[in-house]
Amino acid sequence: MQARLEARRLTKYYAAIPAIRDVSFTLAPGNILGLLGPNGSGKSTTISLLTGLREPSVGQILFNGHNITDHLVDYKARVGYVPEDAHLYTFLSGREQLDLVGRLRRLPSGLRTRKIATLLDLFGLTGAADQPISGYSKGMRQKILLVSALLHDPDLLILDEPESGLDLSASLMLRHLIPMLAARGKVIVYSSHILDYVERLCADVVVLHRGRIVAAAPVTHLRAMMQRESSLEDIVAQLVTTIDPEGTARDIAEVVGQRG
Amino acid sequence: MTPLAGGDDAMTFRLVTRLFLRRLIDNDLISPHADRHQSLAVLFGFIDSLAVFVTFFLSTPYLSAFIQLPGPAALSALSDRFLFTAGSITISALGALMVWDALALEARDAAILGPLPIAARTITHAKLTAAIVFGGVLTVALNAVPSVLYPAFLTVNIRGIAGATILRLIAVHATTVTMAGLFGFFGILAIRGMLRLLLGDQAFRRASNGVQSVLVVSMVTALLLAPTVRARDVRHWVGDAVVPPWPVGPVVWYLGVNETLAGHLVAETPIVLPPRMPSIASLQRENQAARAAYCQLLPPFAAQARRAWVWLPLVTVLALTTFLWTNRRLPDRSTGVPAPSRLRTIVRRMAERYTHNDPEAEAGFFFALQTLTRSAPHRTILAIAVAAGLTHALMVLAQKDGHSLQIQTIPVGVFGIAIMVLLVLVVGIAYAVAVPAELAANWTIEMAWLGDERRYLTGVKRAAMLLVAVLLVLLLPLHVALLGIVVAIVHSLLSLLLAVAALDALFLPYRKLPFACSYVPLENPKIVWPAGFVSLLLVTYGFATVERSALHTATRTIALGVVLGAFVFLVKAIDRVRRRERRLIRFDDRPARATQQLGLFEHLAMHD
Repeated sequence: MQARLEARRLTKYYAAIPAIRDVSFTLAPGNILGLLGPNGSGKSTTISLLTGLREPSVGQILFNGHNITDHLVDYKARVGYVPEDAHLYTFLSGREQLDLVGRLRRLPSGLRTRKIATLLDLFGLTGAADQPISGYSKGMRQKILLVSALLHDPDLLILDEPESGLDLSASLMLRHLIPMLAARGKVIVYSSHILDYVERLCADVVVLHRGRIVAAAPVTHLRAMMQRESSLEDIVAQLVTTIDPEGTARDIAEVVGQRG
Repeated sequence: MTPLAGGDDAMTFRLVTRLFLRRLIDNDLISPHADRHQSLAVLFGFIDSLAVFVTFFLSTPYLSAFIQLPGPAALSALSDRFLFTAGSITISALGALMVWDALALEARDAAILGPLPIAARTITHAKLTAAIVFGGVLTVALNAVPSVLYPAFLTVNIRGIAGATILRLIAVHATTVTMAGLFGFFGILAIRGMLRLLLGDQAFRRASNGVQSVLVVSMVTALLLAPTVRARDVRHWVGDAVVPPWPVGPVVWYLGVNETLAGHLVAETPIVLPPRMPSIASLQRENQAARAAYCQLLPPFAAQARRAWVWLPLVTVLALTTFLWTNRRLPDRSTGVPAPSRLRTIVRRMAERYTHNDPEAEAGFFFALQTLTRSAPHRTILAIAVAAGLTHALMVLAQKDGHSLQIQTIPVGVFGIAIMVLLVLVVGIAYAVAVPAELAANWTIEMAWLGDERRYLTGVKRAAMLLVAVLLVLLLPLHVALLGIVVAIVHSLLSLLLAVAALDALFLPYRKLPFACSYVPLENPKIVWPAGFVSLLLVTYGFATVERSALHTATRTIALGVVLGAFVFLVKAIDRVRRRERRLIRFDDRPARATQQLGLFEHLAMHD
């Protein structure tokens, strides 16, 4: 199948310090890619390059075979993005924020109003839709981000910790929604620390560590590589963990228990 | 849960106070994205350098006098002290208005501190203490340098004045301007508390933004008008038993405190002439007359001072009690969210009908209106602009004599009222669009942006014109009273056309996305601001003169309208051509580099 999204040797420097180096992967329509790695591994940088919000220092991103920097606006029109931090215009209401995004993405008035109302209802936000976002909880803001990313029916969904702050029912709904969207031919990049989610949702994973890919393969291949029936959590832990989790946990418990 | 011990309570109080104080400065006064130390240095540097400049400017006659007579010095100092007092009240009040929303416990306080084992009373007291410290520091920073310099400069050429007298003058000046500043700060706190108490939480939230904007406009107008007050005006208000205009009242009270405590020290200083200089009778007579005139003012000043002594504690107590009462509980998150008003819904529907099938123009229109009316920095910019226009209007009206509707006898300034108000509003909007609505949320627009800036800008300009039209409607009764109904309507229409032309012209070189790009300060404000001010005066009075002349006959009026229309058409055509080619917008522009830098990171930056 023809690649829809291709990252070629992406490298990004911040003041001469490389945040990522030689990151490459390819995604076909319907693929869900799990982007994994510890804090500071380069996940957020990779995502910011994939969204087109930043340019790579070296390398290129191809969407349907075209370099995105040559058609950045057209590319962004086909991307839905949920960032890690839920920064929204807090003086707008949820509906106004979505209206702003819908209008900028040129959704026809009737369709936009209908879609926003329905999605707000499905995400359980109708009651708070006309209240300022400044009063929203983290979960409510996250839902606005999700609706905002889905509003224009994008071909590529980039989700950075999308389950963050969501309540249980919204979280379960998201777990069902993502495979459905993939089944409709959308490409999904899913970054998360909750490896259980990634294991359930993503056929392929890219594991980043200190800015480099340390593993890029289907989850089943990774398991075979490790030569045992381990969970994705165990595999990632073996690849990127530099501390002894159990020992560190014991030390923390000791410190917590100190008195006087 | 184990309650905190007494000592822990005091420590918690200090910690929470420090947290509130830091947040008042970091998040509310300065953008959370700015560097606190740098911004504070710039802010206080600006305040102090302005205070020093004003002090030197006012002191020029005293510094340059060969012999300063005490009597005339005491009289002429009245207008200077009036300015210092008015400045202290208004700037301290503006400081409080800048952090208006943070002058009470907010939902974020409940979210951050609510889960911690801290008594609600401790949080309330800490918030109040932080607000008082903020107001106190602002007042002291504003007044410290002028309090020392001004009395010293005033008396530098009064021979024979004792050092102890100068010290006493300094102490009294410092006391009165600080009292005035605290009155301004606590006055705003009291207004806020009283409104919240009377309206209730829900209604207060609805009215809060409007009240804040009106108060900013009032304070900036008062500040701009203060330098126009002369010593003669002060004598008139105090000595002739004429009731001063009510906004002047508090300034005269604190001026009264100063004059009662220390005014006589200057006025009663005997004349000491330089050695070998013969006594000049005319100087003695001049000094005697001025001293007598000044001494006549002392009893009325004492009466004014009594009001100051009553009102400062009263306002302070009112501010503190309303604060403590309205903030006795941590706010509930769910109550911090008023529903949209009916007016907002009507405006939305009308605008949607007007901009149908043009979603980007709609986006620009609504986002501009929402940002300009709801975002605190943008509201402040517009309030300052309106205040500048209002100041001009008040100055014109104060000078206008008689009442005639004959066009040739109406002063040009009257025609300039609407023109100036609209032009400064347009300039204010053109400036406000360069300030991001919320820097961290810019990605929303950057991601959704489809590249047609012309349509989006059209929407933004329509929103600006809506604000201009609202202001014109508000000014219409004044114009009807000054010009008669027909001329007033024609004048309003021509002013509107001029505002459209000015708006289009100002946006012509603008190649960014309003409210969505990083703020880049002007590279050469020392040239741009004065040049802009002079241009504003030239355009206002130039157009007002042409308009007054044109309004003599219908033909000329129509001709002026056609010329303006043609100009608008021309600017719009140029704009269309310039924006035909779609370009990528640079959302994250950086300011120009400083003229001097060490360049320590240049070898690294090339890789970024």
